[in-house]
Amino acid sequence: MSDTTHSASHDQHAHDDGAVHSHISSARFYVGIFATLVVLTVLTVGISYIHLGALNLAVAIVIASIKASLVVMFFMHLRYDNRFNALIFVCSLMFIGVFFAYTLNDTGHRGEVDVEQGTEFLPADGKAAPGGMPEMKDEGPATRRHESEHGAQVGGPLPDQDQGKKTPP
Amino acid sequence: MSQSASTAESPASVHPPSGDHADSHDEGHHGRPWLAHHFDTPAQQFDAAKLGMWAFLGQELLFFSGVFVCYGIFRNWYPAAFSGASHELNRVMGASNTIVLLFSSWTAAMAVRAAQLGKRSQTTGFLVVTIACAFVFLVVKYFEYQHKFHLGLLPGKYYGHPTDGGGFFAAITNPEETPHLPYKAHIFFSLYFVMTGIHALHVIVGIGVLIWILKRNLNREFSKEFFTPVDLVALYWHLVDLIWIYLFPLLYLID
Repeated sequence: MSDTTHSASHDQHAHDDGAVHSHISSARFYVGIFATLVVLTVLTVGISYIHLGALNLAVAIVIASIKASLVVMFFMHLRYDNRFNALIFVCSLMFIGVFFAYTLNDTGHRGEVDVEQGTEFLPADGKAAPGGMPEMKDEGPATRRHESEHGAQVGGPLPDQDQGKKTPP
Repeated sequence: MSQSASTAESPASVHPPSGDHADSHDEGHHGRPWLAHHFDTPAQQFDAAKLGMWAFLGQELLFFSGVFVCYGIFRNWYPAAFSGASHELNRVMGASNTIVLLFSSWTAAMAVRAAQLGKRSQTTGFLVVTIACAFVFLVVKYFEYQHKFHLGLLPGKYYGHPTDGGGFFAAITNPEETPHLPYKAHIFFSLYFVMTGIHALHVIVGIGVLIWILKRNLNREFSKEFFTPVDLVALYWHLVDLIWIYLFPLLYLID
């Protein structure tokens, strides 16, 4: 295990023999990466006992990402590998990023339906949510409950939500 | 310093035998049975194998991202439940499992390195340690799960002291010991069991493929010129470690 071979990365097209020329890191280097990973693990556990509020999650994810980068770049050789493999990996991460961003943005901003008023409000402060259903105003027969040409009951507030106003039968 | 492969072939292998393989394109393949007929050179085969493996790993990442996003949604909605439920997890066991997997990742990388250098018995040794670490991980997981079953910290509708399930849960849970956790804590445990469960399934499959590669290594199938299967299986194992690197802080270290 005292072998310290540490060849620089070669462009495989430079060799006509078609043999595999892959980078081999030294044993010492791998041990160093492992030691760094252990230190980062201890760090992340230690920081979790400090109350930083919302920052706890961010710090934990950052440390986990540093650990993941070390594993991917050096243990998985992506640093020295064909660049296209790294492209595949990065593209997967990008799609995961889109998945997270859009989903959390949507679910994080959902309001709830207030059955009494027929509007959507933000649970935190009770204000009307943007883009929510507006309160139905009485602006003539079309906005009151009536039967459409297809026979459906349309318009106006939902049944038993007359809001104290007179509604047509 | 380059690692040349040209020393592997003996002169006898250059001449193809009579029959189907008289085709000159097959020259050189017979000294190297590990070189598949549809590849011209070992480098091409290696590149193709690695590419395929990284495509699979990309899929695995996207596969796990589903449960991670689900975790994100529910942690966002019920932070108190997640915080309270997370404190029921044993951080020492979780951290130990993290170190065990990181160590096994190191031994897997060392196994690939030994194979790249043509050191067969060293490759065997590192593969054996990797497999042993995988078993240690599962044993710790077993005790963690057992503790949760006993406390009634079960997924979804089985949370608490459920009487459905034909008395199975009534037998293993002790309602007096179920901790009082915030509303919606059962969602955390649903996610906990699904995420760590699917991860544990990947560990079990990893043990299987590691044993397979160990067996092939003992059969002298690998060399300085051909170590690709060791490389690919180690890549899978590193991915299992990668998933856990994120699972650990997200499940065990919530403030």
